[in-house]
Amino acid sequence: MKHNKLTALLLALAMVLALAACSNNQGQTQQSPSASPETSEPMETPAETPAEGVDLTILFEQDDDMLNTYSLLAVNPDAPFVDADGNAVSDVYVNTEGAAALINWMLSQEALDLAGNYGYEEYGEYLFYVLDDAPVSTAEIPAATEDTAVIRMSTTTSVNDSGLLGYLLPFFEEEYGYTVDVTSAGTGAAIANATYGNADLILVHSKSQEESFVADGYSYVLDGFEAERLPFLYNYFVLCGPSDDPAGVRDAATVKNAFALIAEGEYPFVSRGDASGTHTKEISLWPEELGITTEADSVADYAGWYNYSNAGMGVCLTMAEEMHAYILSDKATYLTFRANNGVME
Amino acid sequence: MTIAPFRKSYAGATALDFPGAPLPAGQTCAVIGANGSGKSTLAKVTAGVTACGQPQVLSPPVSVGYLPQHSYPFQMTVRANLMLNAPRRNDPARQRADMLLERLEIAHLSEQKAHHLSGGETARMVLARLLMRRYDLLILDEPTAAMDIRSTALTEQLVADYQAETGCGVLWITHSLKQAVRIADTVLFLCRGRLAEAGPAERLLTAPQTSELRQFLDFYGV
Amino acid sequence: MTTALEQAIQLVLSGDDQLVNIISVTLQMSIPSSVISLLLGVPLGVLLAFCSFRGKEVLVILNRTLMGLPPVVCGLLCYMLFSGVGPFRHFRLMYTIPLMVIAQVILITPIVIGNMESFAQRITPAVRETAHGLGLGRGRIFLLLISETRYQVFSTYLLGFARSIAEVGAVSMVGGAIAYKTNVMTTAIMNYTNRGDFTLGVALGIILLAMSLVLNLTVSLIQGRLSR
Repeated sequence: MKHNKLTALLLALAMVLALAACSNNQGQTQQSPSASPETSEPMETPAETPAEGVDLTILFEQDDDMLNTYSLLAVNPDAPFVDADGNAVSDVYVNTEGAAALINWMLSQEALDLAGNYGYEEYGEYLFYVLDDAPVSTAEIPAATEDTAVIRMSTTTSVNDSGLLGYLLPFFEEEYGYTVDVTSAGTGAAIANATYGNADLILVHSKSQEESFVADGYSYVLDGFEAERLPFLYNYFVLCGPSDDPAGVRDAATVKNAFALIAEGEYPFVSRGDASGTHTKEISLWPEELGITTEADSVADYAGWYNYSNAGMGVCLTMAEEMHAYILSDKATYLTFRANNGVME
Repeated sequence: MTIAPFRKSYAGATALDFPGAPLPAGQTCAVIGANGSGKSTLAKVTAGVTACGQPQVLSPPVSVGYLPQHSYPFQMTVRANLMLNAPRRNDPARQRADMLLERLEIAHLSEQKAHHLSGGETARMVLARLLMRRYDLLILDEPTAAMDIRSTALTEQLVADYQAETGCGVLWITHSLKQAVRIADTVLFLCRGRLAEAGPAERLLTAPQTSELRQFLDFYGV
Repeated sequence: MTTALEQAIQLVLSGDDQLVNIISVTLQMSIPSSVISLLLGVPLGVLLAFCSFRGKEVLVILNRTLMGLPPVVCGLLCYMLFSGVGPFRHFRLMYTIPLMVIAQVILITPIVIGNMESFAQRITPAVRETAHGLGLGRGRIFLLLISETRYQVFSTYLLGFARSIAEVGAVSMVGGAIAYKTNVMTTAIMNYTNRGDFTLGVALGIILLAMSLVLNLTVSLIQGRLSR
């Protein structure tokens, strides 16, 4: 008995130490990336790499093809909800008043200003820009009641990981007494969550998927607005890659040319591969003759350089960093990723 | 009391084909035989813990106290083990427990956890536990196999006194011929799943009729 | 260079608001789910070992299959049942701790049953024969059997609790990992990892391990004292 306890204690200690040791190694790998066998170009030596930060750099941005527009959509309580067997479900609970209050606040001048300035202090760059034609609301926002206090918002991982909502929502919650429960998933899953009756509003960034959500009757026009879909913020996707840029995408005329250069030279590329908004956008940027779609088998022939990862943005950025690969990312997550790696030193 | 004829098989192989035997109240019947001859099967079927296709082999249906070969010491104190089998949790029961522990010389262990006892101590504890209650028939499957000579003598005396007090019948399975001589009024000799010979202890052990029993006695040197 | 271990200790010492909340939510989920699973699983497991009836083997095999139920499958099942369009939508449990507990009870109870059954069926023949030999009734024999498995209950509880705090698939699906509401240690580690913040993830992992270590030591001390 005594011996058993001692052994258990020692084992547990060993595990803790091993974990701690692992994290040290992790930190070191981040600092001095080892040469990757997958690039044919000569790699930077650790001496040339800055001691701080990551090697992955923004190489191409601000192309109209990389525009990333965020919209708010209220969930229609009378939407044609169906259960798993396809049978109509009529009495689905939706907190319409809460959703309207939150959307009216998000589109108030106060909130738009907050969103537009978010991240500048921390990263020295703007993460989101307010659309020139964003609908601005001046409606009176009712305080929370017992029935409307909890608002369920379904959003994408990239919005959640950028920290925007964590920054914005407390202003709203404290002033009006609501609680906003934010769940995040890839755009497809975030929208599906609403069609399963688990959200009162959605905040997503995939125009085509939003339009079919509206067309299927899952959204409705709120009082004082003109459309179901309410685009209000935008930023740009960014094409990142190793700082020495072996494919030379920095000098490309357009983002589509940049992608063509990567494909031509078969430089390693990390794809989200999860049917997210970012993945959908990436698919649209490859030369059409390659035939790349969101399906995994469409890239089977390119497995030598195209990495179909099926993972979140942060994991993919880490992969790209380790593999010295190119990657399409939303700007906010990339900046957060870079900042967090600074913390790891 | 009588044991009715029965046949018990495990997985198709006959373990014991028993023609029946009387069990007079107030008398002790010893069951002897080599390993695998069916002694424990006889005990289990008679006690009713193992089914054999017949609802009841013992007639009339009387109360039976059965001590299996490896009786299980419950994970509580020795005293609690005994009180578990008391008809009522009252002072007479507690006094009886004290008396039994005293007679088997394990009174000093009464507050010990039963699962920490030695083999011989466990054997005495489980016997004391059985004798907490009054039964019409005691079936003891090698109760002294793990005991030294002194404990064996204490056990034999205690069972004899219990029998004198209650007038119960005793079916005592043993592998010791010497013990059979000491305790038995009648003897059942089992050989390869059959009852080879039965009768008064005196006659069976001095003038065996069958060659099987003769060989058995020769081998064990009585 | 700040190691993850140092950062973990700093995190704990600073009493970080969010960390305290994550640990508290983790315990609010793990303790009820492991206790409920134990209360359901121990009697059922012992009963399964104790009774002999036609079709018992089928039940045992079915339970072993459920022991291997992948958490995400369980999460998906609960999601379908309790989501806004599911048959149990009126309970309004989606993205709440009670639903996380329900999902975990579905996952852990078969493990408790299987563990108790396999232990109890080893001692059942001896206990049954002995108690039957004393002339005790079936009810008392069953209670005795439960009492004989009480030391096993401790280690089974630990197993259930460990499974409960380590589980991520079902919990993230039905809990939604909502900050300050349903975000537990494992989903928080996943979130940090997704953001590329490995150090914080490892720090949380170390705290999780330390919690498990403290619980194990406590239970093994209690167990040692009781069996003496």
